[in-house]
Amino acid sequence: MTIKSFKGGIHPPTRKEASVGKPLAYFMEPKQVVVPMNQHFGAPNQSLVKVGDTVKKGQRIADAEGRMTLPVHAPIAGMVKKIEPRAQSNNLDGPCIIIENDGSGATDFMPPLDAFACTKEEALARIRDAGIGGMGGAGFPVYVKLAPPPNKPIDTVIANGAECEPYLTIDEQTMHEMPEKVVEGLAIVMRVVGVKKGVIAMEEDTVNLVPVFEKAIAAAGHGFDITVQVLREKYPQGGEKMIITAVTGRQVPSGGLPMDVGCIVQNVGSLKAIADAFLEGKPLIDRGFTLSGGACATPGNIIVPIGTLISDLPPELLAYDAEKLRKILFGGPMMGVAVPRMDIPVQKNTSGVLLMTAKEAVAHQEGPCIRCGRCIKACSCLLTPVLMNAALQAGELEESERCGLMDCVECGACSFACPSHIQLVQRFRVGKQLLRNKKAAMAKPSAGVKA
Amino acid sequence: MANTERLTLLSSSPHLYAKADTRRLMGNVLMALAPAALFGVALYGLPALSTIVVSIVAAIAADAGFRRLVGRKPGIGDLSAMVTGLLLALVVPPSTPLWMTALGSIFAVVVAKEFFGGLGANIFNPALIGRAFLIMSFPSAITTWHRPGGFTVLTDATTSATPLNIVKMGGSMADVGRNFVDSGLAAGADYGSVLRTLFIGNRAGCIGESSILLILAGGVFLLLTRTIDWRAPVAMLAVAFAASWAFGLDPVFGLLSGGLVFGAVFMVTDYVSTPVTSTGRLIFGAGAGLISVLIRKWGGYPEGVSYGILIMNCATPFLDKLIRTKYGYVAPVKAKKEAAK
Repeated sequence: MTIKSFKGGIHPPTRKEASVGKPLAYFMEPKQVVVPMNQHFGAPNQSLVKVGDTVKKGQRIADAEGRMTLPVHAPIAGMVKKIEPRAQSNNLDGPCIIIENDGSGATDFMPPLDAFACTKEEALARIRDAGIGGMGGAGFPVYVKLAPPPNKPIDTVIANGAECEPYLTIDEQTMHEMPEKVVEGLAIVMRVVGVKKGVIAMEEDTVNLVPVFEKAIAAAGHGFDITVQVLREKYPQGGEKMIITAVTGRQVPSGGLPMDVGCIVQNVGSLKAIADAFLEGKPLIDRGFTLSGGACATPGNIIVPIGTLISDLPPELLAYDAEKLRKILFGGPMMGVAVPRMDIPVQKNTSGVLLMTAKEAVAHQEGPCIRCGRCIKACSCLLTPVLMNAALQAGELEESERCGLMDCVECGACSFACPSHIQLVQRFRVGKQLLRNKKAAMAKPSAGVKA
Repeated sequence: MANTERLTLLSSSPHLYAKADTRRLMGNVLMALAPAALFGVALYGLPALSTIVVSIVAAIAADAGFRRLVGRKPGIGDLSAMVTGLLLALVVPPSTPLWMTALGSIFAVVVAKEFFGGLGANIFNPALIGRAFLIMSFPSAITTWHRPGGFTVLTDATTSATPLNIVKMGGSMADVGRNFVDSGLAAGADYGSVLRTLFIGNRAGCIGESSILLILAGGVFLLLTRTIDWRAPVAMLAVAFAASWAFGLDPVFGLLSGGLVFGAVFMVTDYVSTPVTSTGRLIFGAGAGLISVLIRKWGGYPEGVSYGILIMNCATPFLDKLIRTKYGYVAPVKAKKEAAK
């Protein structure tokens, strides 16, 4: 099969040797969980429980009205000890429901639902009730993604198994151990959206999974047209826009969404969660992540309940050299967030926790831009980062937008490639916010002047 | 194990960096220049060696000295002053008095680079500005060449015309061939021998410009290490070839003589003073090639590469406007139609 790809991108060291192939390790009964109430973009959730309440595993504990909201469920059975702001993986404090494990293991799942017999509305309601957000990192509510407006017909669903971030191997391990669940989830999504074609996309370093998936498709594909596609091992191959271009050749229009080119992309972890929601009635209450990094003595792929603090992991799963530890990342090294402590909970969108040494986490002084153009070659969105940065430094926000500022997905390829170690992504984030503020300020005066 | 005791690092993503840094890129350029430089020393002996050393030392000293004088941060050891010094040495004749070379090198670093804002901020190619300054100030010294012979000292007895000099005075290929035989540089005076001699570089000229073979080898090295972009060099050589042919000059001779190939590999690929966009680089190279040949044909000088590149440096900010089409670009007319849907 031809290996497809997209234009641009970089080839960082993969650093997957430490955790690749490590079987999924389950740690399902931590003594407590700190569940962030808001793991979505929409209106803030309200708690449905009070301090002192006993909750069962799978019970809904927070929800809100609103188009983009997602409910949150109790990942373990126990008592609600506190509801208070706690540090989250995005470096902000957010309201969290803290549950102490009572050892009962009592569960309160929904009844199983046949995705191929129920109505589309029932299926979407089930996906919402299960609180499933995109597990690749963005956390977008899946039930919203699977209900595009009628003027945006979908013809392809892509299962995103292209785990392009260095260090991370959790998606690969999930695909290795549970391929039928991934295929089942994909078939459910295809049925709900009414799509004929499904593609399971993966990078070339996991090409050994192709026959595994072809077998799983025959077993769990429900007779749908699902094929496997191998993609070039490149960062950011797993980015939504990049994977669509690689698989279908179409480009998502600037400012648009995948549905504008008839595609829906879903991470393989999300598909497995969707399968669980229908087959077992289980809401999204646990997830896998890769624990790795130079300071970690026990790299591996771990499944824990949502809200488990990293510092609560048992020593056989988490042993690290505190002397060598210099940086803690939630996510991958290209787009992940550096956090100051270990007592931060795993969320629905946590795909990795990296404990990096000083050598891995080296911070460079920014040098002057030498106009070498490597950032242009690296940019996954075909923008011109060097000129975007020059315009921002000169205070010319519109010129920076012309060179592509608002199309930047902050993948980090340009900053990676820069020989002067200029913090391009950080500057673009600030620039985008300045531009948004400026446009908002410009829009205000005309609000009352409509005839 | 709630909190770690040591402080951890917080910074923006990404948290990984490529190995390539400015120092390594400049190091690649120095390595690519080394064969041509060593060949120049082999051709002209001690005068060439001392010119190179003085130029480099003066450039580094001027860089550090000026920065200290105006209170600018010291350089980060990025070798860019060393590159400027070496480039300037290779584009002046071997008999240039050492104090003149030093002056040109200081001018290149201080005026062409530091006055504009330092590394990354200069509009013009510093080495070429240094050379232009020397031609303006000391025209006779910078247009005196000697035949190769591995000397310890260059005298009036060793002066020679360059191939481009001969052609400019109205000479033919046969005259060039005879000049090579008379200087002991070639066995035969036929056209094939002329081209071969030019390709190997055994001829009078500036210190580093003559060995097309070694310069191209350096260019291949820079391409393989992804240090330079092929667009500007290829455009320059292609347009120079075509323009030479169009204006009635011998195009092959034109490619192999003067500083054209040296300029194409090392000057037109300078990051800072040339466009950063792909289309911009193609146009830059084409313009530099065309102007070089125009000067060769109708200008007052036998060689026009320095000026061709310096003139195109002025166009760089405009050529930078030619950015490529971004991912998902929607043309404005289409965008209006979509919004109306």
